[in-house]
Amino acid sequence: MSLESTLMSHSPLSISVPELLEVKIIDKLANKRLPGDLAMWFFILAELTVFAIFFIGFAIAEQLHSDMFIVSKAKLHPIAGLINTIALITSSLFIALSVRAIHLNQVKRSINLLVISQVIACVYLVVKIWEYQFLFNIGIDIETNTFFTLYFLITFFHFMHVLLGMVILLIIGINAKKGAYQEDISGFESGASYWHMVDMLWIILFPLIYVI
Amino acid sequence: MITLKQTIISWLFLIILTFSSVYIGQVIETPEYLIALVLLIVFLKGQQVTDVFMELRTAPKMWRLLLLGYVFIIPAVICVIYLL
Repeated sequence: MSLESTLMSHSPLSISVPELLEVKIIDKLANKRLPGDLAMWFFILAELTVFAIFFIGFAIAEQLHSDMFIVSKAKLHPIAGLINTIALITSSLFIALSVRAIHLNQVKRSINLLVISQVIACVYLVVKIWEYQFLFNIGIDIETNTFFTLYFLITFFHFMHVLLGMVILLIIGINAKKGAYQEDISGFESGASYWHMVDMLWIILFPLIYVI
Repeated sequence: MITLKQTIISWLFLIILTFSSVYIGQVIETPEYLIALVLLIVFLKGQQVTDVFMELRTAPKMWRLLLLGYVFIIPAVICVIYLL
């Protein structure tokens, strides 16, 4: 029962303070909702844990081989990392707007925003492939040194997550078009949350590899 | 539900923070300050994604704290490793 409806059904003198507080608490709890499915959030936590090990491993390796990491990082293009960061953040924005539209039952608008988000995500894929190609062309690969082993391992693992996120959002877009989210939008929200996680991981990855 | 205005402001904040971290990387030469500032920016960006994009500001407290804990603890651990 909402606070408003309780107040409407009681005269101001008949409602006690404890009753009012109880209704307030119920109202607050009712608004606390986890977007998407619980299973997806456990999956997100598992993914974040795996990446946390990578991030900490990278930082320890950098401390052990600091000279090698400085020289190797100089061979990367920070602008490529910057473009990818902007692409993923902007793609996340459009997914957030798409979720908002589906909340408001604007299915067509939601699908359009989802498509824009995925077009922007393609910028990330193109830049990342270009970056790998550039490194291969100057004779650098996964076996060059510890930095590049970790660089290729972590960034390619992230790249695969971006691809998986895009597949999930493609399926969500098709389902939305079929009218699957007219009543229950938790599947839509789950896919969006996964995409935001991919964005969040890059937010940590970008300074670790390109800035520090 | 997070408002449209909040979402757009959050995106702008994330973009500004991204450029700020690159700028800091170019101008600050003291490694301690550079690492601390850049990782602080990581936390601020993570908080925006958690609260606004993921809409965890209005979610049960435990989930919000788990995600905010992640974007605070991981950069903090990395910071300690670099500064040791």
